[in-house]
Amino acid sequence: MTATISHARLRVLFALFTVASLVLSARLAYWQTIGRSDLLNRATDQVYSDLVVAAQRGVIRDRSGAILATTVELRSLYAIPAQMKDRAGNDTKGAVAAAIAPILGERADVLSAAFESGAEWVFVRRRLPEETATRIAALHLAGLGFEMEPKRLYPSGSVGAQVLGFVNDDGLGQYGVEGRYDAELAGTPGRLAVTRDPANRELALGLRTAVAAQNGQDLVLTIDLAVQSAVERELAATVEREKAASGAVVVLDPRDGAVLAIASSPTYDPARVGSANAEALRNRAISWTYEPGSTMKAITIAAAIDRGVVTPRTTYDDVGYAVIGGRRLCNAQCKAYGPTTVTQILARSQNAGAVFVAGKLGASDLDRYLQAFGFGQRTGVDLDAESGGIVRPLAEWYPVDLGTISFGQGLSITPLQLAAAYAAIANGGTLYRPYVVASRRAADGEHRTAPVAVRRVVSEETAATLRTMLTTTVDEGIANAAALARYSVAGKTGTAQIPSDDGRYVDDAYISSFAGFVPAVDPRMVFVVVLERPQSKLLGTVPAMNAFKAIATDALRYARIQPDRP
Amino acid sequence: MTFAQAVRAPQARRVQRRLHRQAVPHHRSAKRHSRRIRGASWEIRSFALASGVIVACFLLVLLYLAQATAVSAAGYEAQRLAAQRDELRRQNALLVIESARLDSPARVEAEAQRLGLVRAATIRVVAAEAVAAAR
Repeated sequence: MTATISHARLRVLFALFTVASLVLSARLAYWQTIGRSDLLNRATDQVYSDLVVAAQRGVIRDRSGAILATTVELRSLYAIPAQMKDRAGNDTKGAVAAAIAPILGERADVLSAAFESGAEWVFVRRRLPEETATRIAALHLAGLGFEMEPKRLYPSGSVGAQVLGFVNDDGLGQYGVEGRYDAELAGTPGRLAVTRDPANRELALGLRTAVAAQNGQDLVLTIDLAVQSAVERELAATVEREKAASGAVVVLDPRDGAVLAIASSPTYDPARVGSANAEALRNRAISWTYEPGSTMKAITIAAAIDRGVVTPRTTYDDVGYAVIGGRRLCNAQCKAYGPTTVTQILARSQNAGAVFVAGKLGASDLDRYLQAFGFGQRTGVDLDAESGGIVRPLAEWYPVDLGTISFGQGLSITPLQLAAAYAAIANGGTLYRPYVVASRRAADGEHRTAPVAVRRVVSEETAATLRTMLTTTVDEGIANAAALARYSVAGKTGTAQIPSDDGRYVDDAYISSFAGFVPAVDPRMVFVVVLERPQSKLLGTVPAMNAFKAIATDALRYARIQPDRP
Repeated sequence: MTFAQAVRAPQARRVQRRLHRQAVPHHRSAKRHSRRIRGASWEIRSFALASGVIVACFLLVLLYLAQATAVSAAGYEAQRLAAQRDELRRQNALLVIESARLDSPARVEAEAQRLGLVRAATIRVVAAEAVAAAR
């Protein structure tokens, strides 16, 4: 049997094949040229992943190497509700919620509601404690999974919170060292671009582009964790006992300005910043300005002795008050002392005596020494949110201001400024810039912070004279409650009134403070304790001195400083 | 011409050529026979060579695949070990943090209070100079 095909049919068939071939060729040419990149991208997207590799945030340690803050990856629990089914295909959302609720300390109905919300993917709890995550993982529940997320941990809890600051949910450092050194601590993220198989595993033979993350620098602080713990413990106890509104303590090494401890009350737990109020986040030791009161008399007398207008034995007749600028400025309870030396002015904390000394010195020189001691300007400590305090320009002084400023009214300072000024007296007359970060450990080695001597403020002789006078103030004078067994202490108390919004002073409210250093002959630590509105008003500065004694006793013990008295 | 005729035409031509060749003299046939033998050996050699090349290529591809598979397997193993290393590092970091927490002076203080311990009122300090002088 033979079949015949006409030439016309053959031509049609051939034409159809030709057209089909041309169409296919054109399509092929299109995908090979114009559409090539699109196809390539689609294919690459299926196997290629380009990820940002997070840098490890640096560790913060105290001066002896104890960890104060570090970052570790913790497991975050997520749920894919659609996958919550058993083998028979029955919904298990309720059972899953009931199983994990007691472990998470959450109500089962709250979890069930989250699973039933219709969301495809939901975080159940982020950054779980390791033990909790392990217990949930052991249940092997369908529809639950874990994802690693970095968490900043503070092993000592709230100790040092005001110095350390914290890291917010976006990974940015806030306040304290975390805020000031955020760029150094954060490091630089890297990049990893690799091809992956369907199981999301990297292919060893695939494309691989990796830029290694540069981890953040580790910081070693000047803070001594033992001293810091003692300071915070005593400050908290004192504030609670005295029902004070707030308090602050600074401990400095006068030899180079290193900050050994800074505490502020109220405080917060850096791991639970969300529950802290704004006032607790404020480091009052560096950002709270207050009228210092009588602790400033030491500065006034140092200036006058350094200027050579008085000596410790210079005498005047105290009648209980002084008149300056047409105003009468009284001693405490306007008590008259009669013939009084400059040493006794300090030991008895006589306002009229301070006015007498300031009168000898003059406003211009007093202002110059205040500036030299660093009042009215930031100390430059390497912490966020420092205040500079207020010392009005000399041109704005009224005549009476010479008198009031001489005993610490009419200007405002921070506790850290006062500590730095007393450190200058303690170390022989040099003002150092306080600093908190002792060294940074980077990839290229360790960078140590060199202490910065800002300026010489008084001569060595003046500083030695003041140390002796302040020692007398503690041994025989108004600050006797601050004396320590077997250690010489130099210091001065301060009871300052609190100005109100209308410019007057608030009745029955004081700021109680003590500033001093130990041992007086070879000072190793400077302490400033400030309490706002302690309730035992009649006792004045006693709460501050008691806090100083407790803190100094522990600090000297931890620092193994040898007693200098029998 | 029908489609069947068109298909059969080459075969018919080959049969005609064969009949024509059978009609030529014997000496020419012997000569062609020897040429055919030489031609056949060349074909065998070519076939063998081509087969050899194909087998060699096949073996090379097999070798490549074996190596690629081994590298991939090693890559997966390296990834598994890297993940294991990272997890161990994480566990170690958690232990270091736990150690720091336990060493914290504030915790020690609280624990001491819980145990009823009291702070020593005085601590005797022996001056180093005195000890040195006694020696």
